[in-house]
Amino acid sequence: QVSVINTVDTSHEDMIHDAQMDYYGTRLATCSSDRSVKIFDVRNGGQILIADLRGHEGPVWQVAWAHPMYGNILASCSYDRKVIIWKEENGTWEKTYEYTGHDSSVNSVCWAPHDYGLILACGSSDGAISLLSYTGDGQWEVKKISNAHTIGCNAVSWAPAVVPGSLIEQPSGQKPNYIKRFASGGCDNLVKIWKEEEGQWKEEQKLEAHSDWVRDVAWAPSIGLPTSTIASCSQDGRVFIWTCDDASGNSWSPKLLHKFNDVVWHVSWSITANILAVSGGDNKVTLWKESVDGLWACISDVNKGQGGVSAVAEGQQNEQ
Amino acid sequence: MKLKEVDRTAMQAWSPAQQHPIYLATGTSAQQLDATFSTSASLEIFELDLADPSLDMKSCATFSSSHRYHKLIWGPHSMSSGDRVSGVLIAGGENGNVILYDSAKIIDGEAEVIIAQKDKHTGPVRALDVNMFQTNLVASGANESEIYIWDLNNFATPMTPGVKTQPLEDISCIAWNRQVQHILASASPSGRATVWDLRKNEPIIKVSDHNNRMHCSGLAWHPEVATQMVLASEDDRLPVIQMWDLRFASSPLRVLESHTRGILAIAWSMADPELLLSCGKDAKILCSNPNTGEVLYELPTNTQWCFDIQWCPRNPAVLSAASFDGRISVYSIMGGSADGLRQKQVDQLSSSFGNLDPFGTGQPLPPLQLPQQTAPQSVVMPLKKPPKWIRRPMGASFSFGGKLVTFENSKPPQQPGMEQQQQQHPHVYVSQVVTEKEFLARSNQLQEAVQSQGFVSYCQKKMDMALADFERNVWAFLKVNFEEDSRVRYLELLGYRKDDLKKKVNITLQCKVFLPILLVDVYGIFSLLKAPAESDGSVPNEGDEGQTTEEEFLGETLKDHKKETEDLGPAKTTFNISVSGDVDGLITQALLTGNFESAVDLCLHDNRMADAIILAIAGGQELLSRTQEKYFAKMRSKITRLITAVVTKNWKEIVQSCDLQNWREALAAVLTYARPDEFTALCDLLGSRLENEGDSVLQTQACLCYICAGNVDKLVACWTKVQDGNSPLSLQDLIEKVVILRKAVQLTQAVDPNAMGALLAEKMSQYANLLAAQGSLAAALSFLPANTNQ
Repeated sequence: QVSVINTVDTSHEDMIHDAQMDYYGTRLATCSSDRSVKIFDVRNGGQILIADLRGHEGPVWQVAWAHPMYGNILASCSYDRKVIIWKEENGTWEKTYEYTGHDSSVNSVCWAPHDYGLILACGSSDGAISLLSYTGDGQWEVKKISNAHTIGCNAVSWAPAVVPGSLIEQPSGQKPNYIKRFASGGCDNLVKIWKEEEGQWKEEQKLEAHSDWVRDVAWAPSIGLPTSTIASCSQDGRVFIWTCDDASGNSWSPKLLHKFNDVVWHVSWSITANILAVSGGDNKVTLWKESVDGLWACISDVNKGQGGVSAVAEGQQNEQ
Repeated sequence: MKLKEVDRTAMQAWSPAQQHPIYLATGTSAQQLDATFSTSASLEIFELDLADPSLDMKSCATFSSSHRYHKLIWGPHSMSSGDRVSGVLIAGGENGNVILYDSAKIIDGEAEVIIAQKDKHTGPVRALDVNMFQTNLVASGANESEIYIWDLNNFATPMTPGVKTQPLEDISCIAWNRQVQHILASASPSGRATVWDLRKNEPIIKVSDHNNRMHCSGLAWHPEVATQMVLASEDDRLPVIQMWDLRFASSPLRVLESHTRGILAIAWSMADPELLLSCGKDAKILCSNPNTGEVLYELPTNTQWCFDIQWCPRNPAVLSAASFDGRISVYSIMGGSADGLRQKQVDQLSSSFGNLDPFGTGQPLPPLQLPQQTAPQSVVMPLKKPPKWIRRPMGASFSFGGKLVTFENSKPPQQPGMEQQQQQHPHVYVSQVVTEKEFLARSNQLQEAVQSQGFVSYCQKKMDMALADFERNVWAFLKVNFEEDSRVRYLELLGYRKDDLKKKVNITLQCKVFLPILLVDVYGIFSLLKAPAESDGSVPNEGDEGQTTEEEFLGETLKDHKKETEDLGPAKTTFNISVSGDVDGLITQALLTGNFESAVDLCLHDNRMADAIILAIAGGQELLSRTQEKYFAKMRSKITRLITAVVTKNWKEIVQSCDLQNWREALAAVLTYARPDEFTALCDLLGSRLENEGDSVLQTQACLCYICAGNVDKLVACWTKVQDGNSPLSLQDLIEKVVILRKAVQLTQAVDPNAMGALLAEKMSQYANLLAAQGSLAAALSFLPANTNQ
């Protein structure tokens, strides 16, 4: 079911922390503790290094591609407290904006749905979440939610752009009345949902189920159903699927997908929102799918079988 | 950044890592008197509530104790998972006593919270540690080189790790090895550290600096490397932390000299071996990398010394420090700004103002921008190097086309002692995830069919594979679209087969002798039927079962009749034209005078329908139709309405008012008689009726009507309503039909192939998305509606 079609040797000199494909699946961006961000052309199974972006002064945690309608834009965030927005102009990648408004490591960046314009949410270990909106002419407007998560925000993820109450896309020409929302997870073990009201970001929901740091949250893409779905994973090894059926977005209920034996670092939805990829601290990726009766089942282990963690642990034991 | 503070002069112990939520226990310190010179003592438990932005810690329980403490630890022994507070608080008292408290009972406010206590030691018990591997084992150290190993399951009789070290000295620190469970180390202010092997029951190695100026105030094993430990010195003349490796025990591996005065306490992070906390009489709290000696972080403190410092076992970014000014502070080493607290107040303020327009200026207030960093000390820099726990080691993200991008870092690069093979660069893997194999296979078949134009065989295959009758029916109907003479075929599908009918008719004719009256009636009707059929010139020769039966049957009857007439004719038997006063006579009179109308009326009146109609035919078209009307008004047999429709060609009436259980018949009638221009509309109409009927069986049948009508959009709508359209395979079910039907419609009716209803377009996009998600990009594109912008 899962077959490797391309292996990219990133030549990063330290740990990789994120790897993201662009919208069309033609380019791959990676970032690493070696402070660099790299962009590869991976069309047809190849790998051509397009750019090696230097500018961060600490490990780079995450990269995020903006929607292609705004051009080729990549955001990166780092332990150096900076968020850098990179842009390709005439074939070369340049830094176009640098945001230094956080007091600690910036752990997560996520672009809003393209319908809202160019908006980037950034979550930081200083507990704040920043929202950077492009206002044209190279200007960015900053809104900051202070103390969103005490001692740190680890992840941000936007809700898909859905007009409340309508399942089918609105006729063009009429500007839809979007309600902007995003989810965040942090070191206070909470998942929070934020909603924009009159230009201000308000905490709409506080989802409590995890007993340790929330490492990642992922809002599922909309597939035309009225249900909103969020996946969250935690240091406590648990992955929860949160669903909300009512349009007002007030009643979220968690369902435990699985309790892993180790930290779960990352969750990612497939584009069709029916498969969840869960990346656990035991270096394993598992794919999960909801059955008709609402139960989540693991459909695949993505283990490249390179020795993995068990072998490393044994090595440690022997050494002593 | 400071998170919380509590005003206590106390020893502190975090709840074990398993405990959620996180608690901090404090026990009144034996060494210091607070400002009130109070000699009372208490054991308190606070909850660390990070969601609360205030600096206060929530006190959960207070227990008034008769003891003051030199050491307090919280062991996970007999812990149950769950939200209940549990584990054992182990306290070292002033008079050689070791006391066990039940933390759950303290929280519950019970009076009897002491599990057990023993005063076996001499002097204050300053050193305590729980074995990580066997949490029921606790080591304690006190004066005169006393070390005991307590088994919490059998608390009465402690063991000793071996013969007491000489000369007798106080034990200031004790620590179990983090990797090997039977290794224990102890240290004393004299500067000597001893490593014990409990299996051998003797000290295995003594570590001491030859200059003898180390006054050990702290001892900690390396969290990951079994042979390494650090010793901290309280002596102002040698305010150092020594890192030792027992394999080279002659001199320290490294000496950290960051403090300017004696070090009072150290704590090594279990979450990241590169983080060692130390606090000293220079009033500094430092976080250093003991493997390099680099100071990574200096906590902002007041000028007070801290005498105890602890990492929170559960939350690796949190630590607590107890200072001599009677305060326990909880910090985060992730930096951050205290502005958050201020901002919070501003937020509260603006939320009470509603942030709308408090002064009626007609403009809402702009968001308040606080001047950035007016107070530089309020911003705390984070650690110089990122702690291990925020370095995400691996991840997998989905991207367009069902591709999964995964990366992993085969091993943590800074594992000391690991055989570093040739440095391998981390790789990123792009994988194709296919979850809907059947879906893809079927999609491919469909595309092959479309490309090869092999629709008939495709439909046939689908028919053969169909499990449900309905499914087979649908495919049969679709198939007919590609065949000659489709209407006739539709009829066959509805169960009306010409040959069968003939047979049935013949059988019926065998018994006609027994049904002379019916025959007569039928004869009349036949002539009625004949007329429109001829004038219309339309194909139909059959209709509904009853209808066709009669028609065919009439064909025969006609001949018979003719024969009869012929039989009668040549005989030329004279007959009497009676003009008597009875009905016959009147009719005769009317006929003789050429008054057909009256004759017909008379016949009708006398219920001689056949006569009436035959006469009406002779009387011309106008009379005929009037007679038909009267006939229909009078006759109310089951088939009359059908006949009415056939004669008057008013099929709408049938379709609109037939019992929906007879949809099959209605459809057949429409197929037989309807003109091409109204055919589609009638099928649609029938379909809509079926669709709106509550009965789900009928609803599904509506699809058949729409297929006959070639109405793709309605088919989609109806199908979606009836089926659960969201699983990929059911979508595939739909799309297969739609694609085939569209092809058929394009063949038979010249329609714009790109025209597509909104719902269909949505379904198509959905389908294309699915295909794309499974990696079939090219296929997905071919299904994308041309007029959408996706």
